[in-house]
Amino acid sequence: MWLMSLLSSYDVASDVNVAIISQPPSPEHLLGTDKLGRDVALRMLHATQAFVGPGILAALVALMIGLSTGAIAGWYGGHVASGLRLMTTSLASIPRFVLLLLASSIYGRDLTTLGIAAGIAYSPTLSEAVYARIVTFRDSGFVLAAKAHGLSSLRILTYHILWSNCKELIWRNILALFGFFLLIETTLSCIGGFGVQEPDPSWGNMIGIGDLQIGANTGNPLATWAPVLAIWLVLTAVAAARGTSVEANR
Amino acid sequence: MAVAVLLVQLAIALAPGSAADIVANSEELRDGLTEHWGLDDPFLTRYFRFISELTQGNLGESLTYRAGEPVLSLVARSAPSTMFLVFAALIASISSTFCLAWLTAGKKSISRTMLRTVSVMPVFLAAYLAMVVADSWAFHNTLEVGIQPPEWFPLLLNDSSVKITIAVIVLGLGSSAGSEIHSNIETSIIEIRSSGYIDAARARGARLWPHTLRNIAAPLAALTASRVPYFLGGVIVVEKVLHLNGVGSMLWEACRMRDFPLALGITVLSAAVVCAARLFADLTRVLIDPRLRGTN
Repeated sequence: MWLMSLLSSYDVASDVNVAIISQPPSPEHLLGTDKLGRDVALRMLHATQAFVGPGILAALVALMIGLSTGAIAGWYGGHVASGLRLMTTSLASIPRFVLLLLASSIYGRDLTTLGIAAGIAYSPTLSEAVYARIVTFRDSGFVLAAKAHGLSSLRILTYHILWSNCKELIWRNILALFGFFLLIETTLSCIGGFGVQEPDPSWGNMIGIGDLQIGANTGNPLATWAPVLAIWLVLTAVAAARGTSVEANR
Repeated sequence: MAVAVLLVQLAIALAPGSAADIVANSEELRDGLTEHWGLDDPFLTRYFRFISELTQGNLGESLTYRAGEPVLSLVARSAPSTMFLVFAALIASISSTFCLAWLTAGKKSISRTMLRTVSVMPVFLAAYLAMVVADSWAFHNTLEVGIQPPEWFPLLLNDSSVKITIAVIVLGLGSSAGSEIHSNIETSIIEIRSSGYIDAARARGARLWPHTLRNIAAPLAALTASRVPYFLGGVIVVEKVLHLNGVGSMLWEACRMRDFPLALGITVLSAAVVCAARLFADLTRVLIDPRLRGTN
């Protein structure tokens, strides 16, 4: 609650204070201030809004598209499967990053668009993984038993196959998608032209490669290094979480 | 033979599939285009015109990036350097992680954790940090005699071999490419080493590595092909951060200037490269593995 009120009371545009440019950490400014005298710690916190919400949106979109296409193709097989899989493989043959660049160039650079586009761009991977898993289960004993009990195919598919047997797989893919979204968002915002732009903070644009000035933050190196460390930490955590769930699955 | 033909046909079938994606793209693109240049042809007309032009090898003309110049000649001029980067990165990352995986497969090893920790670094950050290091290194001598380096990156200004080396390494290992490829290769090495024919070879005292190498070639080819789209995406970032001239930075600028014919042309070509890589991987598998050549 305290954090929420702190974030909502923080105004990204009017925090500029030329009297305290590039100061090292102090009790008032825990991570110091950047080249415009803005509080780095608050901006770091504020910047999480740039990837957490849209990342979850991307996950939802990918789940909706990837799960449904993968599950339907895996369950019904035949022409349905080859049609759906032709669609997913052709979408997958365009590099994801290119798709996202095109999307943000056509529909504008707001984060909702980026989230939806990232979800669509990731869905072939999820669809492929779910398809491969369901094909191995389709003719297995427990599915036959469930059919013999007279359960509907929807129930078998959603509960017995997807929920009981693909949870780990889906969770791992969602984690990967979240890491992928953070990567995309910081990359776009960092290089500039797309993604989050000043004065709105993002871990990407706080690093400030766009202006190519290593000397710009010399008074307070933390203004550059704190977001670098944060990105690295989050991505490592995501990779580690994926790794442990892989090992739990074996 | 039957299987080989099927595989090739499957791979070729992917190419019109990626053309179907142009439908989606040009549908989206159309909104922007009609808005900006007042083009009001029906969507299907435009789509079929694009496809028919495409079959004649014509991708249209650039609108804003280099107004009036054919997309194909623009791309052809800067494609060699970009493709060099992508292929060099592929070879570098596959060969280095293969050597590492050969040593670490099935063992507890600190190098796995180290590789994961390092290669999780996003491509843009890794390229930037490498640039900072290389720059301070290059100006080490001038600092000693009291000349301050300029505040921008001097190395950025020329296409030096240092920059290209950084680009290849960063592209090959960054954004967890290194650890993902490594763990994939490790899995297939473990699978092969625990298989029956390796046991048989060991039993008759033969050397094991020729058997392992021959059997790992097929999964390795598939893995290489599957990494191509990632590297094509990453090369955009690398070229942009390191200020290299190439198709990647051209695509970025085309997207920024809303030059959709150029952006679409590059997208189609990158999809074609991905499909070609898949075809190549399938052909390699058939070439290496006699079982896939079928019975008749």
